[in-house]
Order: sequence, then structure tokens, then C-alpha cells
Amino acid sequence: MIPLRIKVETNADRPYVVRLRSLEAEAWDSAPTLHPSEAALKHAGPDAADYAGEGGRLRVLGIDPSKVDGDVLLVNPSRGTADRLIRSSSQHNTFLVTERCDQVCLMCSQPPKKHHFDLFPYFETAALLAPEHATIGISGGEPTLFKTELFRFLQRVLEARPDISFHVLTNGQHFDEEDLNALSHIDLGRVVWGIPLYSSDAGVHDEIVGKEGAHAQLLRNLALMCRLGAQIELRTVLMRPNADGLPGLARVIGSTLPFIRTWAVMQMENIGFGRMNWKSLFFDSSEGFELVGRSIDFVRSRGIDAWLYNFPLCTVPPEYRHLAPATISDWKRAYRVECEGCSLKEACGGFFEWHPRDHGYSRLGAVQ
Amino acid sequence: MNIWPLRFRELSNGSTLFADDAGGFFRSGQGFLSRYATDDLTAADVAFLREGNHGFDCEFDLSWTSFAYRWARRQSKPQNLSYAILVPTLRCNLTCGYCQVSRAPENSRGFDWSEETLAGVLAFLSGLDGPDVKIEFQGGEPLLRIDLLEAVRDYCRGRFSNTQFVVCTNLQALDARAWAFLDAEDTFISTSFDGDRTTHERQRTHSADATDAFFQNLEAAVSRYPAGKISALPTVDVAKPPDFHALLDNFERYGIRSVYLRPINYQGFARKLDQGDNVLVRWNRLHSEFIELLIARNYQTGQFMEEYYFVQCLKRVLRLDADNHVDIRNPNFFAADYVVIDHDGKFYPTDEARMLSRIGRVDLSIGDVAAGIDRAKVALLNSGASNHFDPDCIHCVYQPFCGTDVIDDISRYGRIDVARRDTWFCGRQLSIFDKVFEILYRQDKPTRASVAAWLGVNSWSADMAPVHS
Repeated sequence: MIPLRIKVETNADRPYVVRLRSLEAEAWDSAPTLHPSEAALKHAGPDAADYAGEGGRLRVLGIDPSKVDGDVLLVNPSRGTADRLIRSSSQHNTFLVTERCDQVCLMCSQPPKKHHFDLFPYFETAALLAPEHATIGISGGEPTLFKTELFRFLQRVLEARPDISFHVLTNGQHFDEEDLNALSHIDLGRVVWGIPLYSSDAGVHDEIVGKEGAHAQLLRNLALMCRLGAQIELRTVLMRPNADGLPGLARVIGSTLPFIRTWAVMQMENIGFGRMNWKSLFFDSSEGFELVGRSIDFVRSRGIDAWLYNFPLCTVPPEYRHLAPATISDWKRAYRVECEGCSLKEACGGFFEWHPRDHGYSRLGAVQ
Repeated sequence: MNIWPLRFRELSNGSTLFADDAGGFFRSGQGFLSRYATDDLTAADVAFLREGNHGFDCEFDLSWTSFAYRWARRQSKPQNLSYAILVPTLRCNLTCGYCQVSRAPENSRGFDWSEETLAGVLAFLSGLDGPDVKIEFQGGEPLLRIDLLEAVRDYCRGRFSNTQFVVCTNLQALDARAWAFLDAEDTFISTSFDGDRTTHERQRTHSADATDAFFQNLEAAVSRYPAGKISALPTVDVAKPPDFHALLDNFERYGIRSVYLRPINYQGFARKLDQGDNVLVRWNRLHSEFIELLIARNYQTGQFMEEYYFVQCLKRVLRLDADNHVDIRNPNFFAADYVVIDHDGKFYPTDEARMLSRIGRVDLSIGDVAAGIDRAKVALLNSGASNHFDPDCIHCVYQPFCGTDVIDDISRYGRIDVARRDTWFCGRQLSIFDKVFEILYRQDKPTRASVAAWLGVNSWSADMAPVHS
């Protein structure tokens, strides 16, 4: 697995954001001027690499400098660690802005916590240092619990960096009319809002997210998002409680939610509450794909994009595999022994690192 | 719940099709129609209408907003002008009986762009916003003036970052210079092929030698270029249609899976043709038979072919922005995203308008390259470019999916205010949309397989078109 937190030593006394630069091919004399938030590699040894910049000296331990070149770190001196906020070689960079949430979803991969530290100032610095044309994920918890800070962050970064865009995961519960002004200052053409809707049946949706009235509130806010011209990626994690209702949800998307940009039908992740409730929730789509395929076909027949996220390609009928991109983030992706020799491995997103070995798909295996 | 107004039409199987202004549709029966008309809906009726988003509770709720969105997305927005149909010469080396533009003989004079006209065309193109431009070379036979084609293409490649050129050629005479021109990756070929050799020779080439030349060039082009480079369409005389089986075999053989079955257009030389009585009814029947043949053939071969316009109409019914074809565009604004420039430098809003003007019936030119586009005249034409307020269309269940064709109305009736139901355009559209809904609701496997293929999805099942029982 790709490490997201690395060990460091630094002479700084408070947290700071820094971008690492190797500048290996360049002589020091002709090296480009460093950004105030950058540190340049000065010496690389077998166990550590030393960097220096305006922020002071930084020693990075246990990872090859070539693997962190261009990375943007949040350095925590007191802990002796740094979080790789942006890995320059990855398409899967996400800022976890809070662990608080007002929903308790049955399959939540990251169960909510009460504490919260405001890291937006660090995220803003980091985003401004992102590689060109990066898409940065915003996740939680529920990011819009801190929507004032979030909207201001989005506005400022998007204004300063016309090349980058954001993908914000939100439960869609906290938008309201009073946000229209703040949202009107954000370039919404460069923000995709990933919003979960589990069922057209309010009872089923509310049961899954553990919040009464969530479905009704979400529909109100989806109307608001439509009026704003926001780009919405509607996300439906496929589970036993909502699988049978998938065709009905597809019909409602066609009739009532045609303004979404994408519908993502997603397979479950076996971690957090998802692990705890796995037996009662996991829907084996390798056996019961027919209703998934029918739902996807219905929505696509209406000219609305629909995709399969987190589906191993071998569990998907061949004619639907082109709709199943490799969506599992690189740092939590793994392949099983059954994947050895599979001709689709290059294009396949594989499995979550923590996918159970003895549970899940009944039809699985290398495709020749 | 407030229910949006529903229009309705009885289908051939006795059921009734309903649709709202935003194109939400379903099939039901006389019972529902009666309850709807008398405001006596059951709870089941209301639940069905709610799921289909045919009503709303209050302004700005999700249903209301979504309905507004769907309605708005179905409207055609004026686009940037980025597409020009150019006629560098009206001269042609064929004498097709149905020629729509009354082309000029190959050796005649005064039917090509002058130096001044070429300069005016380039000056006009220089004023387009870009960065994309698409140029279609029409005629006459445009390759007779390949020098003009080269001049336009060279200019556009220097002026725009993304260019596409389509040469509408009869493929009769291709010398090395013509092949070199067509070889370019940004240049495509559109030709006429009337389905089978006998029909093609009768309608177009008139001699065995000329027919041989066409087929030799077509086969050379097919073997020389990748799939998608060449498109072809047959013009069909309703009195003497080609053998449709042979037509499909031939098009498939040449790698062309989309066939635009085009009736002889009511302009140019074609006005003099006697196609017999009830041409519209016979055409509609012919077209319907062609769709049935396609469905059966597709299922049998597993190789899916389509009738281009029918599939455009099918997508228009199900999708919000499927209005690539001008006949299903509403409003159908003129000189908005494309314009025609004739051999004498005059602008026309459509190729049909050019043809109509050519025969002297009415002057539908909208300026020229020297003076620019006559926006006042365009505005006049645009006054009839929407079906929203037409006294017949407002009652029609197909209005959300349909368009207008002012030029065809002028061509046939000399006016644009003929009762819509009495027009060729309306008769053809009604028939096609009747057919679209017939096949959307059909349960047989061959039909479902073709519908899925035409929509680009893996399956089409019976429950994908809504029914309220």
C-alpha cells in the first residue's frame, strides 16, 4: 500500500506545508528559484533525505526521494510525521477536511468522530502548490458542516489557480438558499459534487444514512443545486437493502434528476461500518448483475452518463466492462491471487486492500 | 399535486400516448384519459404521475425545477456560427433527374466563384469566432474547382485550431490532385449512392461507363480510407424505390452502417418529376417498411445498421439534447450555427433555401459575402422557426420532440401559415414519431435488440418505456 503519512525530522516548531523538490538534474547555480513553500533536496542517503528551504530544514525518513518529488506535505513537527496532502504522481489526492458527520451510514468506510481541527489554511496553501490541471478531492466526515470555510476555500483557490478543479464528497444536507450568494462566487464549472442517493424510497434512504428526513432534505437541496447549475455526481452504493430498488431509482433519475452529470453505482468497501455490517449489506453483483445492468441501461438510454465504480472487471459481464473504470484509489488498491495472469488487470481497479478473502463475489477470477 | 398539462394521441394498437411539455411521456388507455379529463384521478394515477415527474407540489421544489430543466434542455439554443456550406461551383459532370439545385452544365460559364467572391468568403470565415470550424463543400460537383477547395482549406487551417472538411462529391472523376486533397485526415467524403447499380444508373449516371467509374472510385476510396471517412446516402424515388435488401447489403459492404433514406426533395429539377398520387402516404409506408427490414436484418445478422433520421428521432424522444438534425430542432433559428454560401457569394439559411431561390420562386438569400448577413431578413424567417405557438402543434403529443421546416412550407405551399396537419413536413414527422413509439413499446426480441443498439446501450427491456395501466 502507498504510505500517506511518512516520518520526518524538522527544526520547525509548528506545523507547515511544504512542497518537496529534488532538482536532481540541475546544478545549484542554475536551479530555478524556490517558492517560499518549497524545500529542495540537498542530500539523499540510504535511510533519509535532507531538504532545505525558507521554512527550514527537513529530513524525510524511510522513503526514496524520487517517490516524493513534487509532493506537498503537511509537516507536524511535534509528532515527527508529515501527511502527503498531494502526491504529485497520483490522480487520487483528497483533503479530509473533517471527521464530523451528521449521518451515520450503515456502510460508512470512515465512521465519524466528534473532534475537529480546522486545517483549511493548510489545505489552501497545499492546493495552490498542486501540479497543473490537478483535480483535488474534498472529503470527510461531512465537509459542508464547515461550509463557510469550505466555500471560501473553493472560491480563493479556484480564483488563484484557473487550471485546477475539485471533487467534493458531501451528503448534500446543508445547502440552503442563504448559500446562493457564496456559491455564486465559486466557479462551479470546476467543482463536481459527489452526493449519495441510495433509493427513491425515502424510508430506505433514511434507514441507510441513519437520519430521519435526510431523503426529503436531499431532494430539496438537489433542486437548489440544479438551479445553480452545479455539477452533480450522484452516488449509489449498492447494498442488499437498496439493490431491488435500483431500477426504480434509475427511473426517478431519468424523470426527476436528469440534470446530474453522472450516476455512479458503487460497490461496497469493507472497512469501518462497512466491515461491521458486511454480512447483512454486501450485494454480490457478480451473481445479480441483471438489475444493475438494466438500471444502467435505462439511465444511459435517457442520455445520462452512468458508471460502475469499484467493480472488479471479472465480476462484470463483458458487455458492461467499458462502464467500469478503475476507480479504487491507488493507495488502497490491491489485487488478489486470483488476479494473477488476468488479461484485464491493466484496466481493472482491482479490490480494496481490505476486501475480505473469504467473503464477497461468488464469480471471480482471472479473465483470459 | 399540480399536474402539468398532458397532450395525447391514440396509437395504432388502440392505446393512448400521453406527453407533457417537457417530453415526459407514457402509454395508457381511455380509462386514464377519462379520469384525467374529468379531474377524477385515483391515488394510483397520482403516484404514477409523481414518479414520472408530470406534476409538482410547489414552485422551486425538485419536481418543478426538474421539469423546468427538462423543458429548457429540449429547446435549441443559438450556437456560434461555426459551420459553412460552400458552393464554389454550380457546375456538375452528372445530370441527375432529381437534382435539387438545378446544377449547371460542366462546361458552362459564370457558375463558379470569382476571385472577388473567394476573397469575400475567406474574409467572412475570418470573422468567425472559432476555435472550431466545419466546412462542407457542395455543388454542383465541388471537385471541379479543387483550386478553390484548396484555397479555403489552406486558409482555415491557418485561421482555426480545429478544422473539419466534408467534400460532397459524386465520385465520378478523381484525378491525383483530388485524391491528394481527400487523403488529408481532416477531410471527409460524402457521396450519393442510390442503393443498387440499376437504380443508381437510372437516377444518376445514365450510362454503364459512368456507373463503372463511380463504383471503381467508391471501392478505391473504401479500401484507401479508414471506417468513418466516407458517408453515403441514397435518394429514393417513391415511385421506383431501390431493392432495400440490396441497398443494405451494398452499404454494409462499403462499411457504411448508417443509411439516411432521403426522399426526393421538392426543389430544383425534382419539382418536374411525376411521383404519382399520395406521395406522402407512400413514402411513409416505404420508410416504415425499411425500418422493419432493418430490425429483422439486424437480428438475423447481428450486425446492426440504422436509418439515420429515424434514430435521430428515437434519441430525440428519450434524450434532452438530441437535436443534431435540423428537422427536430426547436426553435430552428436560421443562420445561427451554419450558413450556406452559393456560387455567386450569396448567403442562404439552408441548402433547400438556396435551391428554392435558384428556380426563381422566391428569393430566400440573406445577404452576400460583400454586404454580410442580412439580419433583418433572418429575423423575419425566424419568426416562423418555432413550433411552440403553432395552433396545431400546441395540441400535438409530439410537439416536444418535433421541429419546424419553414423553407419546405414555402417551397410546397408558397407560405408558412398552412394548417400544420396539411403539410408534408407534419405528415412525415407524425408518421416517423408514430413509428418511434410503436417500436419503443414493442416486446419482440428483434425490435428490442435494434432499439438497444440504436441507443448505444446493452439492453432495452419492456419496462423501459413507461406504461400506466
